Order: sequence, then structure tokens, then C-alpha cells
Amino acid sequence: MRLKHEEEESLPVRAAMGTAAEKSTKERLLSVLDDLEVLSRELIEMLALSRTQKLPQTGEDTQILELLVQRDREFQELMEVAQHQGKVHQEMQLLEKEVEKRDSDIQQLQKQLKEAEHILATAVYQAKEKLKSIEKARKGSISSEEIIKYAHRISASNAVCAPLNWVPGDPRRPYPTDLEMRSGMLGHMANLPTNGVNGHLPGDALAAGRLPDVLTPHYPWQSSDVSVGMLPPHHGNDFGLEPPGHNKENEDDVEAMSTDSSSSSSDSD
Amino acid sequence: METEEQARNRFQSELEFVQCLANPNYLNFLAQRGVLRERPFINYLKYLLYWKEPEYSKFLKYPHCLHMLELLQYEHFRKELVNAQCAKFIDEQQLLHWQHYSRKRTRLQQALAEQQQPQQQPPPHGNATTK
Repeated sequence: MRLKHEEEESLPVRAAMGTAAEKSTKERLLSVLDDLEVLSRELIEMLALSRTQKLPQTGEDTQILELLVQRDREFQELMEVAQHQGKVHQEMQLLEKEVEKRDSDIQQLQKQLKEAEHILATAVYQAKEKLKSIEKARKGSISSEEIIKYAHRISASNAVCAPLNWVPGDPRRPYPTDLEMRSGMLGHMANLPTNGVNGHLPGDALAAGRLPDVLTPHYPWQSSDVSVGMLPPHHGNDFGLEPPGHNKENEDDVEAMSTDSSSSSSDSD
Repeated sequence: METEEQARNRFQSELEFVQCLANPNYLNFLAQRGVLRERPFINYLKYLLYWKEPEYSKFLKYPHCLHMLELLQYEHFRKELVNAQCAKFIDEQQLLHWQHYSRKRTRLQQALAEQQQPQQQPPPHGNATTK
């Protein structure tokens, strides 16, 4: 009926309640209003007709009146229901606001927790780094006396600092010179003539087979020996696998080129 | 495996050899004979790096050798050493570095001497004015 739409606009606010299975309160209210409208229209028509004509059916007007009253009662009931539903809706909104507030509180706490975790993680990481560096320092620690002794040893022999009266022409050098190299153990082990090429040490030569033969020299006049003395390359690849097991008491045995603790202590003071 | 005697000899010879590496002329000598190109020798150089440990380095008299040893690990350096100019340059720089501390000390002593001189001069003037 076309009047349905007009009634919808003029009616006051109604909450959209009711489950999907039943008709919502709004629909029920609307349908009741429609019935009321229909009934009241019929009644008025009947009254209008009764003026001009006799009443065709006497019972009809009472029927319509009764229906009208019934519908009105239904309408009142539905309005009460709608009011009650409105109150519930308001409460629900309040609770929703509360929930929102609590949600934002939780989020804040979450943020703070994350921050705290971040700070703690950095602190722990830095502490670990510190511990690592402490461990490293402890590992490499040497007694200061040893360091001083060693520093004295290498300075007294002018190995790291030039002698104060050094002039160009002075044969002393920060590295072992030819003479020193030849007078060392390696120099004596080489069974070669001392007049090597350019006056440089032929002494890196080794008795073949006694020491790493990678150092076998390649002298043109010894080409035949060299080919015999050189061992196959795979022997050389044994190097670099593990550190040597040296005895540290060899300090006493070493000669001119090697460190000589006895001589340097006599040089001191 | 090896006797103590052998081990001692090996220690001494390796000690001497690693210190020989401080001599740039010797390195040039080795490079020109192609020794630095041989794979076994390169492995041996890597093996010699144990002298960097404090237990072993305390026996070294010429610490420059350790730096040379480190440089020798690089192929580019080994290739360059064939040139005599390269060796000469290294030698010169080594000598200059070697003289660095004594030069610094003499400079300090000179500076100290200069500082003391002005202090000695004012007193004579002071005596003159009081007269």
C-alpha cells in the first residue's frame, strides 16, 4: 500500500532490534500502524456512508472498533518494547566505549613492553660484547715484565731502532745481513760455495731431504742436483695443517741471528 | 715422529729463515729465482705465520720479518718483489722507519736544549737592572 512509505518517515526513531528469525520491532510497529490506518479508514468510510444510507451490516462497525482497540493495544505494547530495547542499546554503547578504552590501555602497555624489551635486549647485547672483549683481552695478556724484557732485547740490539750514531755507510741494518745469515745455522747447513749470486745468501739452501725442500735453490751450475734434490710437490702441501711442536728451551741453542737472551742481558745498563 | 734433536734443529732453522724474510734484498733474490711462485713455498709461508703467536714471537730478534711475512701472503706483493726497484724502495723505507725513533729523540733533545737556553738568559739582564 502506498501509504506505508509515508508512515515510515513520520514515525519516531526505533532501534533495529529483534533477531533475523522474527520480525524486527520496527517492522511490527509499522505493520500495526498500517492496520490501524486501514481500520480507521474503513470506520470513517462506514460512518460517511451511514449518513447517506442505512447500515448494511450492524455488526461491522463494532467489529472494526474492536479491531481498532486491539490494534491500539498492540501498538502500545510494541512501543514499550521499543523503549526497553532503546535502553539496552544505550547500555551496550556505554559498554562498547569501556571496551575501547581498555583496548587502548592494552595497546599502550604493549608498546611500553616492547620498548622495555628493546632496551633490555640492547643492554644485554652490549654486556655480552663487553664480556667478549674482556675474554679476548685476558687471553692475550702478557706479563708487563716479559714485554719490557722483550722490548729491551730488540732495542738493545738496534733491531727496531737505529743506533744514535748511524750514518749512511754503516753496515748495520734492521734485518739480518748477509754475514749474519751465513753465520747462522742455515748458512752452515748449506754445502755450497759462499760466493753466491750478488753476494746474497745461498744459505737458504738446505741439505736435501733434511728440511723443507721447497727452499732448494735453483743455481744454474747445479741444475742437475736440483732436479734430483726436489721432492714431488705433494710433500710441500703438508704445510700449514698444524702448528709445530717446538721446544721452548731452544732459546739457549740459537746463534747470532736468533734471539740471544744471555747476550742481551749483558748489554743492559 | 721426529726426535727432539730434529725438532730443535727445525725450530732453529725456521726461526732463522723467518727472520731472513726481513731482508728485502733477500726477498728480491728469492723472487728472481721464482721461488715465490712455487705452490709449496707459498704454503710454507702460510705455515710460518705461527711465529705471530706470542709464545713464538718472543724469540724473534728482528720483528720487521713478521710484517714482511704478512705481506708475503699476498700474491701481488710476491709478484712485485721481482723488480729490483721494488726491493730498493722497501729497503729505503725500512731504513727510514728504523731511524725514525732516533731522529725523534734527537729532535726532542734539541727542543729541550732550546727551551733551557732562554731561561739562562734573563738572569744576567735582571742583575744588570738591579745595579
